[in-house]
Parts: sequence; structure tokens; C-alpha cells
Amino acid sequence: MALLGLALLVAPAVLTPYQRALGLAILADVVLAVAWAFFSGPTRYLSLASGAFFGAGAYVTAVAGGAVPWPLPVLLGGAVAAGLAGIVGALALRLRGPYFAVFTFGLAELAKHVLIWYETRVTGTIGRILLAQPAPVTLYYTVLALAGLAVTTAVLLRRSPWGAALVGIGGDEERAETLGVNTTALKVAVFALSAGFIGAAGAAMAPRWTYLDPNVFNPLVSFQAVIMALLGGASTIAGPVVGAVFLGLASEILLVKFRYAYMLGLGAVLLVVVLALPEGLAGLWGRYRSRSSA
Amino acid sequence: MSPSVVFDLLVAGLITGGLYALVALGLNLQYGLMRVLNVAHGEFLMVGGYLTYTLHTAWGVNPLLTVLVTGPAAFAAGLGLHRLLYARMLRAGESPEHFASQSLLLSFGLLFILQNGALLLWSSDLRGYSYLAEPLRFLGAVFPANRLLAAALALLVSIGFYVFLRTTLAGTAIRALMEDQEGAQLVGVDVRRVHARCFAAGLAMATVAGSLVSMLFELTPFIGLPYTVTALVVVILGGLGNMLGSVLAGLLLGLVETFSVQFATFDLRVIVSYTVLTLVLLVRPSGLLGR
Repeated sequence: MALLGLALLVAPAVLTPYQRALGLAILADVVLAVAWAFFSGPTRYLSLASGAFFGAGAYVTAVAGGAVPWPLPVLLGGAVAAGLAGIVGALALRLRGPYFAVFTFGLAELAKHVLIWYETRVTGTIGRILLAQPAPVTLYYTVLALAGLAVTTAVLLRRSPWGAALVGIGGDEERAETLGVNTTALKVAVFALSAGFIGAAGAAMAPRWTYLDPNVFNPLVSFQAVIMALLGGASTIAGPVVGAVFLGLASEILLVKFRYAYMLGLGAVLLVVVLALPEGLAGLWGRYRSRSSA
Repeated sequence: MSPSVVFDLLVAGLITGGLYALVALGLNLQYGLMRVLNVAHGEFLMVGGYLTYTLHTAWGVNPLLTVLVTGPAAFAAGLGLHRLLYARMLRAGESPEHFASQSLLLSFGLLFILQNGALLLWSSDLRGYSYLAEPLRFLGAVFPANRLLAAALALLVSIGFYVFLRTTLAGTAIRALMEDQEGAQLVGVDVRRVHARCFAAGLAMATVAGSLVSMLFELTPFIGLPYTVTALVVVILGGLGNMLGSVLAGLLLGLVETFSVQFATFDLRVIVSYTVLTLVLLVRPSGLLGR
């Protein structure tokens, strides 16, 4: 663990710019998958809002990036996304099952259209150019810090009484409520926490693009978060990390060359994971270990 | 606004609404009965459109007649997909909630596969053909013949299915299953078979709607999702499992959309339908016309 952390810390000194950019993308994926799993892993509320939160964070950097010194846009992006999640959560978290998923799925699309409408009506332009970007190495360390923080939060949350309460909500929400868990407050709080990390990741990744328009509210981001977490195994800490590294590598290498075939493959992976690997890759590893030790 | 303009918009809205009704009916059949929320529903519509396009442009088949190919083909594909994806989960006796979220994920997988498959096969270029585009006078208003024809066919299939549900034994079995699964099982309804056939019929309806859409609009592999969203709004407005509700809500949404596009200078459709969806979900989670 410590070795891995140290390797990631000194990595920029030895990596080529391309490898560093690849590492940056994968670290952002780790933040996305781990933060998604904070909330949706134990509670089984299938959130497809990651794209909206990621986009909100990115837009904060686009709007405020030039005006304030660097780490501030990331904090702001996280705060805006968390605030958005607080509102959405208070409205939507009483919906169960597929309704919640559909509601959150529409959110990125809604945000995009509202923003296009606002930009054409009020500011008269669509899209912004990002000026005064931080150095690539600064970005790398920012996202590395976020990833470290996300994993730490996941571990702490899991060990805390709230972690147990979240699992209780996933098992039987009414029973958890009867046992004295304030389910609404807990759900909204953890949903906002998860969104905060996703928004911060969006804000930190925004300088990768020099030009940003409302299409940054991309539903594909929502799916990637879900598929990465489920592929790795959403109920463990290591699962989403494994899934993010695996799919992050695959997407960075394959997405550019074989865009459509890759996305088709992603769909097929999702089918296989749901049908054959309900516990994800981490579960497969666990099964293998328990079999070999028996 | 003169009465004749209102009348034109009214008819135009009902034409759009007729297509929405058919698309929504298929989705409602899958969701109302099996709790399979198929977000790839619009992708099947898109594939139906491309199949008709290919049959028409490559082999010169009359677009209307392609429905006789695309419908049955989709039905067969639906039976196969049901067997491959859902039958095992149904047999394993998952909790309904778990089944619902698993099947939602599966349909997202299907969405990716179909959309990108279509991109590989047909590319992202606009594809279209002209069929029966000459104007036709109808009830004093003038419309392209193909729009009237498509709307008439869509409504015919919708109403035909409704009559089927109401008057035949198989239709009664489906309605019984929607009411009470265990009760229906007790009186001898083969749940798995009815599920499979309803899933397949839902796909066939989407695909046929796609064949009709291809006569009216140009196709891209991305046209599916907006139809899915519209169908969802219609199904939720009309009430889950309420087939007549879906038809009525489809027509209503077609009207609302036609009128709002006429009067709003900016295309607010996504915002409007999403707001409607949100309000209905929050205020009346069982739908406007739901029980």
C-alpha cells in the first residue's frame, strides 16, 4: 500500500508526458468509481448522475478557473456538485429502484439543456475557452490527492457506524429506519459527499481540454462510473479501484482507435458482469482464494 | 390565433402522438408486466428504422411492407433475448427490487451494443429516403401522406393490441398477470411464457414504430434515446401497466409538444418533458392515470 503510494508520488519524474496523462486519466477514473461506490455500493441506489456532477465541476473550472488560484476551482467544483446533489437527493431519494436511476440519468441531459438555454439567452455564447491552466504535473498531484482522499474516505466510511447503516438501507430500508437510522439525512449526506468527489474530479480534469461546452455533461461518464465499480465489485473497497484501473487503461488505449467497437464491447462487458459476475472481479478473486485455501 | 391554425396543430399533434402511443405501449408492456425497465427501447426503434431503410434502398422493398419483416424479426429476437438475459434471473427467484435494477443494467448494456453496432454498420451519417411525401388533404388541413399513414398504422396497432388484451384468452392472461402474479399462476397461467412473449411483443412494437419513423424523418444511430425518454414520460403519465392510459397520454404529449414548439421560440422539449416527469414522480408516483 505504502509502496504503491510512493510509486505514484515519484511517478511524474520518470514517466513520459503521454504516460503521465494516462496515469492522470486513470486516477480520475479511480476517484469516479470509488466515490460512486460510497453511496451506490452499500445502498444499492443506482445513481446515474455522475455525468451531471462531473460536468458541474468541470464547468466551475471553466467559469472561475482564470479568476482564482489553482486548487480553489477544485474545491469550488466539489462544493457546487455536492450542493446540487443535496437538492437532487432531497427530491429523488424517496424514489426507489428504477425510478431513482431514471431520474438521475435524466439529470445530465437536463443540466446540459438548461445550460445551453442559459448560455444562448444570457451570455450569448456556447462554450468557453480555458485560459491560464495549471501545469500538467500540478494536475497530476491534484488528482492523485483526490484519489488518495477518496479511498481514505471510503475506508473510514465503511468502518464507521454510518457505513453499517448504509448497508442496512441497502438490505431493508424500512427495517433500518425502524432501528433508529435517520435514513433520509444519511442518504442525502452520503450522496452529496460522493457527488462532491465526482465534481472535484471534474473540476480537476477540466484543464485537460482547452475548450469546454455544455456537452461536458456526458451520460457516458455516468455509465463508466457504474461499469467500473460493478466490474471491480461495488461492495468492496478494492473493487472500484481495480475496475477503474482496468477499464481506464482499456478506454484510454482503445477508445481513440476503435471508438464504436470499444463502446460495443463495454455494453457486452456490462451484460457479462450482471449475468455472470454479480460480485465483480474482486468477488472472483475472493472465490478463487477461498477455493485454493480449502 | 385563427381556428384553422389551431386545427392544423391539433391534427399535427395527434399524428406525433400516435407514434408516441405505439412506442410507449411497447415499453409499458415490458415494464408493467415484468418490471423490466428497458432503456434500450428506443434503440430497437432505431434498428427498426435502419432495417426498413436498408430493405427499401438496397432491395427496393416498399417501406410499408417491411413492417411484415421487421415486426416478426424483432419478436423472434425478443424471445431469444428474453431467454438469454432474463429467464435465468426469473428462475433464480431474485427479489423484485433486485431483479428490476439488474434488468435495468442489462438494458443499458443492450443500449451500448445496439447504438454502437449501428454506428459500425451504418455510420453516423444521416440516412433517409423519400416515400409518399406528397401532400394530402385531411379534414380540411394539408399533411404529407406518409405522416397520416404512419399515424394511422400506429394507432391501428395500438388499438388492435388493446382489443386483443380485452377480448382474447391470451389477453386476459396478460391482464391477470399484471393484476396479481401469484393468483394468475394458481389458475394456470404459464408466467415465463407470457413474460417472454410480452417482452418480444414490446420489442416488435418499438421496431415497427421505427419502420414508420424512417418514412418520416432521417435516421442517425442516436435517435433512440429521445424516444425512450418520451416513452418513459408517457408510460409514467398514463400509469404503469395501464395500456389505455399509455395511448391517451401519448396523444396528449404529442399535442403538448406540437403546441409548445409552435409557441416557444427555443426548443424546450427536453426541459418540459423532464419537468413533467419530475413533478409526476414526486407528486403521484403511480402516474397521473394510475390506480
